[in-house]
Amino acid sequence: MNKFFFKKLSIVSFIFIPIIFLWHPNWIGFFGVQPYWPLFWLLPWSMINGSINGLIFGLFLGLILDSLTLDDSFTQIPGLIFCGFLFGRIKFHSDILVGHFRYGLICSFGSFLCGSLYFLQILFRNFTDSNFLILIPSFKNILAEVFLTGFFAPFFCSQLLRMFKFSGRKLQ
Amino acid sequence: MLGIRRISTNRWYKKKNWILFAIFLFLVFVRISKGSFYKDLYYFISKPFWPGQFQKEILLESIDQEYLIKLNLLKKDNLRLRQILSLQESSNNENISAVVISRKTGSWWRQIILNKGSKDGVEIGNIVVGPGGLLGRVKNTSLFTSSVTLVTSPESKLGVWVDRIQINGLLVGLGDDYPSLILYSKDADIKVGDFVSSSPASTLLPSNIPIGIVQSIDETLKSKKTAKISLLAKPHVIDWVQILKVNI
Repeated sequence: MNKFFFKKLSIVSFIFIPIIFLWHPNWIGFFGVQPYWPLFWLLPWSMINGSINGLIFGLFLGLILDSLTLDDSFTQIPGLIFCGFLFGRIKFHSDILVGHFRYGLICSFGSFLCGSLYFLQILFRNFTDSNFLILIPSFKNILAEVFLTGFFAPFFCSQLLRMFKFSGRKLQ
Repeated sequence: MLGIRRISTNRWYKKKNWILFAIFLFLVFVRISKGSFYKDLYYFISKPFWPGQFQKEILLESIDQEYLIKLNLLKKDNLRLRQILSLQESSNNENISAVVISRKTGSWWRQIILNKGSKDGVEIGNIVVGPGGLLGRVKNTSLFTSSVTLVTSPESKLGVWVDRIQINGLLVGLGDDYPSLILYSKDADIKVGDFVSSSPASTLLPSNIPIGIVQSIDETLKSKKTAKISLLAKPHVIDWVQILKVNI
């Protein structure tokens, strides 16, 4: 059991993303907005396993997270697929400190991308003469999410990257 | 023989001259302030024994009981009248208490997940209320849980009633904490502080469920007026809710 756990650490940690997404710990939030949790897992996974794996797991994450939210009309899949593909093309940086800050910047960009794609769907769906009313809260959501994701990414991504590498070494 | 041996030649009052002087000063102060110090001291000492405080609590309790009895009588009366008029009603016997086990009240998603599901009789479309009033509607149920779309969600659109001006409107979630009330009449005399409840004409909600109060009024558009509503029930702090089974 322990052996399986260590070998499949990346997959085991994947299961925890929807749980954290549902848990929604308020004490880590900002204006009631949470960091975009799936990106913390998707970045190290895609960096290790490449674009195609990133794309596939972006799709999987999107499917699971969409099933947990009640908005039938909007989906997180396009943003996560795009991020998974994009993250797979990023190479490791030799300097550890710079690498840490890169995680923050990359995740912030990914969060902005996912948030914008989600917002565009809402805008497209509610395309009426009163749609300007939803602009302000949406901008607030995007900005808060970008800030929080970028802020926590160096910590979470570097820990997950170390874990995935560790479990990969055991595999060989 | 009987002479008492004197321990000290000094009198006690000579030794404690400074104490006597301090007491004298204090008494002078009391005299000048006309006893205000004593009065204030008495104020604090006697405060727990004032009749007013205790009496106030008894009166408030009595008023609470009176309101509760009146409320129950009015509820019964309302139920009877609605039955006579064959109007839509919600049965009190079929309320289900539930705990909020997951809460998304910020960001894009405005939903809560409750610990009661289809096994407990929760159905899609049931109404969820918390302390203060309406929270949302059950959108999805699993065996043990039910997911509720909050009134603040962009997916939520409900018919509401502004009691003061006797007009129906549409409450639309915008993805922030203040849903928007749309009145399809630019002449509607809506004011800040107006009370908004569920509409008697709504096919989704039972009537007269408190929802919120008008917080601000936006600019009048071509043919409609919009206002921001401050909800009475706060979904980000409520832990216990009631699921109402609606008979439509």
